[in-house]
Amino acid sequence: MTLLAVENLHVQFSTPFGAVYALRGIDFELSKGEILGLVGETGCGKSVTGRSIIGLLDENAEVTQGRVRFENADLLQLSEADLREIRGNRIAMIFQDPAVALNPLFTIGQQIGDVLRAHGADLRSEQRERALQLLNDVGLPDPAQLVDVYPHQLSGGQQQRAMIAMCLAAEPDVIIADEPTTALDVTIQAQILDLLRMLQRDREISVILITHDLGIVAETCQQVVVLYAGRVVEKGSVETLFAQPQHPYTRGLLSALPRAGSRGRELNVISGTVPSGLERIKGCAFAPRCGFAMPRCHEQQPAFSAFGPKQQSACFLHEPLNHD
Amino acid sequence: MFTLKYLLRRLGFSVFVLVGALVLTFFVSHVIPSNPAALYAGARPRPEQVAEIEKKLGLDKPLHQQFYLYVSELLEGNLGESYHSRRSINTDLSIFLPATLELVIAAVLIALLLGIPVGVLAGAWPRSPFDYATRLVAIAGVSVPSFWLALIAQFIFFSQLDLLPLGSRISRDATLFYPVTAQTGFYLIDAAISGNWKAWADALHHLILPALVLAAYPLGITIRMIQTSMLEALSETYITSARAAGLSRRVILFKLALKNAIMPALTVVGLSFAYSITGAFLVETIFSWPGVGKYVTEAVLNVDFPVIIAVTLVVTVVYIFVNLVVDLLQSLLDPRVRLA
Ligand SMILES: Nc1ncnc2c1ncn2[C@@H]1O[C@H](COP(=O)(O)OP(=O)(O)OP(=O)(O)O)[C@@H](O)[C@H]1O
Ligand code: SF4
Ligand SMILES: [Mg+2]
Repeated sequence: MTLLAVENLHVQFSTPFGAVYALRGIDFELSKGEILGLVGETGCGKSVTGRSIIGLLDENAEVTQGRVRFENADLLQLSEADLREIRGNRIAMIFQDPAVALNPLFTIGQQIGDVLRAHGADLRSEQRERALQLLNDVGLPDPAQLVDVYPHQLSGGQQQRAMIAMCLAAEPDVIIADEPTTALDVTIQAQILDLLRMLQRDREISVILITHDLGIVAETCQQVVVLYAGRVVEKGSVETLFAQPQHPYTRGLLSALPRAGSRGRELNVISGTVPSGLERIKGCAFAPRCGFAMPRCHEQQPAFSAFGPKQQSACFLHEPLNHD
Repeated sequence: MFTLKYLLRRLGFSVFVLVGALVLTFFVSHVIPSNPAALYAGARPRPEQVAEIEKKLGLDKPLHQQFYLYVSELLEGNLGESYHSRRSINTDLSIFLPATLELVIAAVLIALLLGIPVGVLAGAWPRSPFDYATRLVAIAGVSVPSFWLALIAQFIFFSQLDLLPLGSRISRDATLFYPVTAQTGFYLIDAAISGNWKAWADALHHLILPALVLAAYPLGITIRMIQTSMLEALSETYITSARAAGLSRRVILFKLALKNAIMPALTVVGLSFAYSITGAFLVETIFSWPGVGKYVTEAVLNVDFPVIIAVTLVVTVVYIFVNLVVDLLQSLLDPRVRLA
């Protein structure tokens, strides 16, 4: 069942150098109780996509087209007051570096208490009870002690768990996790991802997991959406897409991934650079780096072709040649 | 948080600063050519009279012995007596110091209660008309000389509107018909304690104008500091995560961001308050406010050294105290600051 759908989302930023076209048409659907991975190289628009959903774009941003459907509403049309009801309560967000995402001057308990109060829990004793429960739920040892502690007294992993506890406070249906493990040690990374999987399984929370690490997607997600220069190039279930990547960009990314059993070294990195956000792109954004690029690739944008019920890819290679 | 060890060390350092200030003012005042004994003796003294007084005051002794005498009196809490009026400085200060503190505290309260919310809102709406207007007010508050401000204020509120009195701490009528019994020396407090509300209102009436004029500088500083540090705090990730959690704008601005914004502002704001003690001297003179400022101004004109030294010491103590309070507040507000 589709819980949240991003449709044809276009976002641009006005800068002193001109308009930056950050998102040039993003489409994907998030189903209830699934983890969807949003992957792509740095600057491809993962964070902007995540922030657009709950209306937290920077002031110089403008949504020029598109919709974000959530329960019969278009989140992009909501007033700030209505959005506040959605944020935290229905859709929560976790950030990359918990050390800066938590307020240094308030205890963990106070910060969880603020979220509870914003969403209707008024009694102080009740808030404390809930905070202790939440800290326990995210696997923090000794909640009774940690609830009165300041963020700097926790380790990175503990901070991220506390951040997740804050996100769970108002029992959201969706969590947007923007690179939640990038700032953490490898062993801690695995634990946090385990925690997200557990929340998805036990509470049927849907997660949009933003990452540039395909290994994390393979281990954690059911669905994957591959972004390139502000557009979706390929999307589908993790099983089919990883087994049979169709888009030349996805193939490049996957072959760049060190495979189990390979000797390393032979990393097949895609050559060339991502186009600047300042350019208006007429054709396929990947064309300058694509080994299969044809003349039309520089002129027109490829539409999605379906590969079975669970996978779509946007590339002219998928279309019969006689079409142009 | 802070430890006992920290407090003791801080106290030791304060004593060191105090001794430094004392030595400096004492020796400078005795090196400057003047004739204290003649001042003490009054108008047209005879030479033998002056010599007698020199002996009495110990002015004929070598300087280090005079210093020793002064310090031993000081350690017993005795600030000496004025050469000019021959009154005890302790008694004088017990009257004048509360007057000045009442004025300064009123100014500080105005600056904080007005400056903090205005700074927060200006930081919340950068580049808005409100932001530009407050910048103008802040710059004016810091740069317009207080004597000019005082004269304008008197012109408008006394001469033109006839709303507020020209000067002094309380009206003659109040002193005659409902006198305030001195307990703390703060008129507003003394009048309130004894339930003397007519005198209380009268004292407040007199306090408004000089307090507003004195508040201009710390108000400007507070607005500017809070506004800049609010801008900074609001760009932090923890504010984005608070917004993502659905917290209201009021909580985000006045609780989460403000607590962070107060930290960097605290030192500068604290200093500007210590500074308003000296700023009060000028304002007191203009508003005939019977405080330390008027007291020391007369002492300077008369080259009345015991008074000058005593007031210098008192002002130093206030500076030290304000600095200590700022540091302690910082450690109370920020769990990462540990004073040890
Ligand atoms: N406030 C802004 N002003 C101008 N351009 C912006 C702004 N925020 C983002 N952008 C641009 O939008 C594009 C997408 O940025 P985004 O942060 O979504 O990338 P990302 O995929 O999250 O990358 P990363 O992996 O580095 O986090 C980038 O080209 C970036 O420069
Ligand atoms: S559309 Fe053309 S340029 Fe783009 S990926 Fe396919 S073949 Fe390459
Ligand atoms: Mg990002």
